[in-house]
Amino acid sequence: MIQVHDLTKQYHVGDHVVHALRGLTMSIAAGEFVTIVGPSGSGKSTFMHILGCLDRPTSGRYVLNSRDVSTLPADELARVRNETIGFVFQGFNLLARTSALENVELPLLYTRKGVVKASERRQRAIAALEAVGLTDRAEHHPSQLSGGQQQRVAIARALVTQPSLLLADEPTGNLDSSTSHEVMEIFASLCTSRGITIVLITHERDIAAYGTRIVDFKDGSIVSDHPAEPFDSRVARVAGDTLAQGRRR
Amino acid sequence: MIRSRLRHPMVDVALKALGRNRLQTGLTVLGITVGVATVLAMMAVGAGAQRSIEQQVRAAGLNQLTIRAGNWRPKVTDSDEAVAHQGDARESLTHPLHRLNEDVVKIAFHPEDDPMEKHDHPTARQRLGDLEAGLGSAATMTFDDAEAIRDMPGVQYVAGGIHENVRVHFDKKRWFTRMHGTDVMMPSIKRAWTFSAGRFFTEREQDRAEQVLVLGQIVVDRLFGAGANAVGRTVTLWNQPFEVIGVVTSATWVVQPAPGDDQFDAVYMPYTTTQRLLNLSKLNDITVTAASSGDVLRLSREITRLLRVRHRIGDNDPDDFTIITQATKALTTGGLPPSVARAVAANVAELEKVTLEQLAITMERASRTMTWLLAAVAAVSLLVGGIGIMNITLLSVTERTREIGLRMAVGARRRDVMRQFLFEAMVIAAAGGLIGVIVGVIASVSIARTLQWATVVSPLSVLLAFGVATAVGVFFGWYPARRAAQLDPIVALRRE
Repeated sequence: MIQVHDLTKQYHVGDHVVHALRGLTMSIAAGEFVTIVGPSGSGKSTFMHILGCLDRPTSGRYVLNSRDVSTLPADELARVRNETIGFVFQGFNLLARTSALENVELPLLYTRKGVVKASERRQRAIAALEAVGLTDRAEHHPSQLSGGQQQRVAIARALVTQPSLLLADEPTGNLDSSTSHEVMEIFASLCTSRGITIVLITHERDIAAYGTRIVDFKDGSIVSDHPAEPFDSRVARVAGDTLAQGRRR
Repeated sequence: MIRSRLRHPMVDVALKALGRNRLQTGLTVLGITVGVATVLAMMAVGAGAQRSIEQQVRAAGLNQLTIRAGNWRPKVTDSDEAVAHQGDARESLTHPLHRLNEDVVKIAFHPEDDPMEKHDHPTARQRLGDLEAGLGSAATMTFDDAEAIRDMPGVQYVAGGIHENVRVHFDKKRWFTRMHGTDVMMPSIKRAWTFSAGRFFTEREQDRAEQVLVLGQIVVDRLFGAGANAVGRTVTLWNQPFEVIGVVTSATWVVQPAPGDDQFDAVYMPYTTTQRLLNLSKLNDITVTAASSGDVLRLSREITRLLRVRHRIGDNDPDDFTIITQATKALTTGGLPPSVARAVAANVAELEKVTLEQLAITMERASRTMTWLLAAVAAVSLLVGGIGIMNITLLSVTERTREIGLRMAVGARRRDVMRQFLFEAMVIAAAGGLIGVIVGVIASVSIARTLQWATVVSPLSVLLAFGVATAVGVFFGWYPARRAAQLDPIVALRRE
């Protein structure tokens, strides 16, 4: 699904150069649920932007679905974003004063294979809302929805073009813990039931644990990359952590 | 919110975005409306002024020229080819009768020639001026000449004419006046005419050479008394009965009917009737109007060339006709002493260039300048409206930076974003343009009603105003739209 080879990214801030990514090489198979963890400034967001075709690497190759997208022109990248990738953001980024349904329809306005008819847009948006369990809130505006509901609308928006890759940048950052877990359950089920490849960034270890593979970033490099523990041992580890914290106190 | 069923979803997107900022959108639309309405109203006033000037010029007959049979004008030493071939005036003047047609002479007798006759009317001398009296009756022009002139480019109307001094009788009253045997085209040529009663003769009456007569207002006043109804009565002329079918008078206050004015102290009949009754086949003159009043001088040159060819006049022989424009007429009928008139007429070709025609051109140019000046002033308000559009679009781009980032993230290309904002600007401009056109038309009509100014709203000015408004939308929407399109989606998404 995804192969990146010796990916680097440099920013020029004033006179000095910031090395956001230093020669990153990894591959992600279709259907994997990869969670990326790491401190701020570790380069995980930059990596996500390159994966999402919002940015181009300074050097290195990025192959998505057997296609080198690292050097595509801007319009082609927009097309890849529209057809192959779905985004979920920390801040939801829903259009205010616009119903949930219309928010979900948004990506369908930019499809390249001709204009999608209004009736079909509506149909597909309803189907996407159904997948996140929000059909009854279709006509509500974002201000009338809770944080968790808003993020579910955002997930529906990411799903409406039936992408093969879902990118989520701290999707639970603005949510409380119980809502966070609800949202993560949706991601997990999308991965298992639909086989969508998911790459998700998070700060929190227990959120990262929903993934099938956990990648640790630090200073623009990968410090560890290992499969997640099966659910049982995860529970045990979480319990162990709690115990350890209790002991420290 | 506007729930539109328009085909393209982008239209929907733009309309929705405008709906979110209703007050700002409304005010910006208002700005454009004021601009467009002002442009339209100002252009209407300008065009109205231009038209009324043109009408005055036409009514004054500045686009008219008359080709008279015979050539009595003094010889001019002038480089202008139109007058270079004219005969020797002294000769013509000393033998004024040598060109008179024999057929005409037999009816040329009238009481005016009798020194013992007392008359209460202007004499031919007073009526026509010293130079023209008794002249111009040479019979060198035909109906075919008139037809040939009709086919020339730049010619608007052509009417051949036969003119005589006649006595018109009604009951016991008689009035010595001017008779014009003329063409049905005449009312189109004489723009300053209006019919206070009845009508002009018709083509059918002309073809059948019927004995119908249109009387000038003065003739009616003298024969029937002021305010009397003459239409339907029968008057006698050349001992023949004529039915009065219409009364003609002046349509403008500039020209007042007066005894001896040759227009309203006159009677009109079909030239065919004159030809039939007097057994004539020639025309005394041909009146021509130019489609454009600035074109008279050129046209007179062309007609000279044409008639010289038609009449087979050798290169060294004088014209057998005379072309008279308004300037010549004004000079020769002004009651000037013969010597002065002769001297002035000798230089009339030059004078004409700087007098009436020049005046006509200058007036037209001045009114056009005024139109454009008014339009320019109005365009400034449209410019201000355009800056308003730029302002609201920039504001909209700034407010919706995150939205732009999101749209890009879900697949919008730069050109999609650009199109969206450009379209928003255009919708504002077009809405303002549309309302502006309506308001502008209403304003023009009310200006015409309340201030009594002539206003002309032409379809062209409506199209122009609306087009300029839309262009303003595109022009001033361009920069903000481009700024939106150039945003980096990552930066845009992070913006709070």
